[in-house]
Amino acid sequence: MLKKLFILIFITASIGVFGQGKFIAKNAYISFFSSTPMEDILGESNEAVTILNAETGEIAFQALMTTFHFKRALMEEHFNENYMESTKFPKAKFTGKIEAYSKTMLSAPLADIKVTGTLSIHGVDKTITIPAKLGLENGKLAGTTKFKVVPEDYGIAIPSLVRDKIGKEMEVTVKANYLPFGQ
Amino acid sequence: MKIKYAIVLVLVVILIGAGIGLKMFFKPHADISKSKAAFQVEATGLIGEFELDENAATTKYSEKILEISGKLVVKNKLSNGTDLLILEDEMQGISCQLDSNWAATNQETIEALETGSSVTVKGICKGYLMEIKVSPAVVLK
Repeated sequence: MLKKLFILIFITASIGVFGQGKFIAKNAYISFFSSTPMEDILGESNEAVTILNAETGEIAFQALMTTFHFKRALMEEHFNENYMESTKFPKAKFTGKIEAYSKTMLSAPLADIKVTGTLSIHGVDKTITIPAKLGLENGKLAGTTKFKVVPEDYGIAIPSLVRDKIGKEMEVTVKANYLPFGQ
Repeated sequence: MKIKYAIVLVLVVILIGAGIGLKMFFKPHADISKSKAAFQVEATGLIGEFELDENAATTKYSEKILEISGKLVVKNKLSNGTDLLILEDEMQGISCQLDSNWAATNQETIEALETGSSVTVKGICKGYLMEIKVSPAVVLK
């Protein structure tokens, strides 16, 4: 019970507000994609969690590395054991703020926004600005983004034997359907 | 003569190597319904362990097959068609995404599940993110 409370406080504190309008997506979609001459590599997870603070426009996003699912069992194994070292770094995180945020963004149709914040993967933090879309889709608050990540920026070593065959950048796609939370 | 044998030997080694390589490459995902569970736990007990010490519980259970019994509180379908069962607590309970192959042939079992009643699932524990994530999973009873 205490732990639950701590987590709640932590999540609330990490986006900097108490008891005000918040939105949560518990089964947000995240994928990363890379094309190789042999076949495309696509890892997908439906288990990311994201919280959007309606007062401040702050966004927190977390995904468990082990929940990424691949077509081939071997890819999943390599992803977790060789590249992401999921036992050492189980979670990828992003905490950021919507640029020029206004509350009206939440009740308008899906529109382009920019989010700046810290992306933490494989134990390495980097400040990034990503293009995203936020707004109502079929009457529900949705957020999507698509951006590129260079594995080496996050200390992820890809053996030179396969390095040339994988695209320099991986494409990350996120889709979240937010619901009001904690009010 | 000796060279011939050497060539044959090298070819055999290459073939075996390629065979093993291909087999590894095309290795299918583990079939959860046929795999044996490493732990049999009560949902509330499992949640308690993760709340007490997330790191220790993650080390103990992550990537292991668990058989979990508990109260079904949510039965849902995600937008991609995946069946989702949540045990004990909607926000901070145990979230189980059902194996799509298993679900395709066991829709009747899934439909018969009633929220509020007890259920036993078997699946791979993926760790803790606000709730305990289990996927893929199958329903035992």
